[in-house]
Amino acid sequence: MDFDTSVKLNIYEMVARTARIPTSIDVALGIGSSMADVEQAFLRLSEKRLLVLEPGSPSRIRMAPPFSGIETQHRVKIDDKVYFANCAWDAFGIAAALNRDADIESTCADCDEMLTFQIRDGKPLLEKCVVHFAVPAAQWWQDIVYT
Amino acid sequence: MLFFRSEEHVDQWCTANEVLKRPLISIDQLWQLAVTWYGNRLTLESRRPAPEEMVQIFSEIGLEGPFWDPKSDQWTSGT
Repeated sequence: MDFDTSVKLNIYEMVARTARIPTSIDVALGIGSSMADVEQAFLRLSEKRLLVLEPGSPSRIRMAPPFSGIETQHRVKIDDKVYFANCAWDAFGIAAALNRDADIESTCADCDEMLTFQIRDGKPLLEKCVVHFAVPAAQWWQDIVYT
Repeated sequence: MLFFRSEEHVDQWCTANEVLKRPLISIDQLWQLAVTWYGNRLTLESRRPAPEEMVQIFSEIGLEGPFWDPKSDQWTSGT
């Protein structure tokens, strides 16, 4: 396995286990490497659009899709953990990635009313809400945080 | 990519924020997208889909047309 793949898998293993996206120090300790080498891997993975780093902070990950490095309005409860997602798609993506039943809480972007979704046995229970994609696929990465 | 209680709420939000109304997808479509895109994200084999794979993924759940075509998007192959 190449170094970048080891870094990527360690990131996802840690976020799945702790519900928190690790920093470069955490990953360096996890795989027995240097922080500098891990941060170079973070940069390469972000260039491949597999991570989004915090601007000006090479040690911190803003997004390891579908997971968010900061609290958002998209909360995914699985067992005793609460994960934060980057968007509606990623909220469902966390349940899919972890392959577990999940209780998802978010809000209507228009009226702020709370919306809840349940994933049970590999599928969502009936819900009449909709998701709006404001940005065409070809432009998603022009401003991925907004997307 | 935001949740809305209904299409009426999408209309109100687009008007209030001066945003063009774009495609809506259902909760079932969102789940299919999530499973296809992220189902193996924690595994060794996971990678970002290539543009032509993205088109296929969207097409399989009924999302077709230029809005869903990432062909002008460029990136190096994913790990």
